[in-house]
Amino acid sequence: MGLGGWILLGVIVAIVLWAISAYNRMVGSRNQVDNAWSQIDVQLKRRHDLIPNLVQVVKDAMGYEQDTLKAVIAARNTALTAKGPAEVSQAENALTVATGRLLALTEAYPDLKANTNVMALQEELTATENKISFARQFYNDSVMAFNNALQMFPNNLIARQFGFQPREHFAVPETEKEVPQVKLR
Amino acid sequence: MVNLAPAAVGATDFFTAQRANQRATTILLATLTLLAGGLGYLAGWALEANHAAPASSYAPRTIWFFSKWGFWCAIAVAAVSLGWSWISMRFGDRMVLAMTGGNEVTKEQEPQLYNIVEELAIAAGRRPPRIYVIETDALNAFATGTSEQNATIGVTRGLLNTLNREELQGVIGHEMGHVANLDTRYMTIVGVTVGLIALIADLILRGTQFGIGGRRDRDSKGGGAAMILMLILFVVALLAPLAANLVRMAVSRQREYLADATSVRFTRNPAGLISALQKIDTGANSFSGVSKATEHLFIINPIHKMTERTSALMATHPDTAARIDRLRNLGIR
Repeated sequence: MGLGGWILLGVIVAIVLWAISAYNRMVGSRNQVDNAWSQIDVQLKRRHDLIPNLVQVVKDAMGYEQDTLKAVIAARNTALTAKGPAEVSQAENALTVATGRLLALTEAYPDLKANTNVMALQEELTATENKISFARQFYNDSVMAFNNALQMFPNNLIARQFGFQPREHFAVPETEKEVPQVKLR
Repeated sequence: MVNLAPAAVGATDFFTAQRANQRATTILLATLTLLAGGLGYLAGWALEANHAAPASSYAPRTIWFFSKWGFWCAIAVAAVSLGWSWISMRFGDRMVLAMTGGNEVTKEQEPQLYNIVEELAIAAGRRPPRIYVIETDALNAFATGTSEQNATIGVTRGLLNTLNREELQGVIGHEMGHVANLDTRYMTIVGVTVGLIALIADLILRGTQFGIGGRRDRDSKGGGAAMILMLILFVVALLAPLAANLVRMAVSRQREYLADATSVRFTRNPAGLISALQKIDTGANSFSGVSKATEHLFIINPIHKMTERTSALMATHPDTAARIDRLRNLGIR
């Protein structure tokens, strides 16, 4: 084997080594995306469990706000039956808006504000809302890292051969960016 | 779009920034170990030149090229440096927790603090660290632990009583930033190596002083050359710890800025951390559990608040006003 042969062999070995490490990076990145999605799922379930408790505690005191309570329950039921990332994100976002309005309204009731049960539930729900938004943020960051790994040169040359597909971001709808309106009596 | 990770230039996302930090730690460890090994070689060489070698048979120049004592000293120093680093990484968090004197809290005891820590662990995409509360009115918080498994975040009771939820979230975000950026690991290694360099430099200083004194009695050839080499060694040994400390403090300040930026990246809300820093800065930050050994761990230096220009080079933390200034710039979109 001549010099040219050795050079060719070296180049082939280098390409194979690079392909292995690129493949492993993409697998690791894809697993992180899946894990991040399951994190969102965990928090969404937690919220579904918390909402009936909160509604139970506040419903007597909030006699005038039955519409808000009904909206929260309806949004929760829609979210429970939603399937697939697009439908889930839409239903969950609607639920976020509804519970946000309910939480803002409890501020207007001195009895509720002083109630330790309500306070604890409020803290739990606030924390869960934050966890959902942070989990979504982390999911979106993971998706961006994964898509970058897939689509940037030279990884894009092999990503399709290995069957990697870019993932979708968890979208935030326009309605969630609005601050809930609170009418103080 | 705002660049939230100024220390990781060119990084497109924070996973890349984290990998860059890990790489920086490895490079720093290698460089400092080499530096410590080099100093060790010098120390061994100085010892050999002065004590082991018969004055007439060895000229210092021949020893300079290969000193057996120097070689073994360098190996020993590198081994000590690695061993010391390993021990600090393994047991450092327990020592810090024992020194600061906090108690671990559960979700039942501190539901809000626990929730906030869990929230930010999710934002950072990692396991929640353990949570300690220190029963003191002082306002401060710290993070320790060199891996995901032994990470701990501690806050004082005074801080819990003073800050609202949003501000506390900013502070915990800063500490979670230290954890996520592996700052504790980074600063442990820097601390060990700086300590080692100071130790060796001290040994060399003693050695050379003794050596210069010892040489004078002997009637050796090439004594002048030896004197000059000894003088160079003396100056190097005098300046090395100072330079190493300056580097350490600069790294520490940089890490504080990075943790502030990481906090905002997690919470997407600079207002909470800004308001928290203002409150912490106006209160008392020191309590019985702090010392020179732990001062760099806290969100604001508990021993001295650095505001004067003259001391800025040797400060573990940047001036709080400068930190708030940078956070304000992060908030502009």
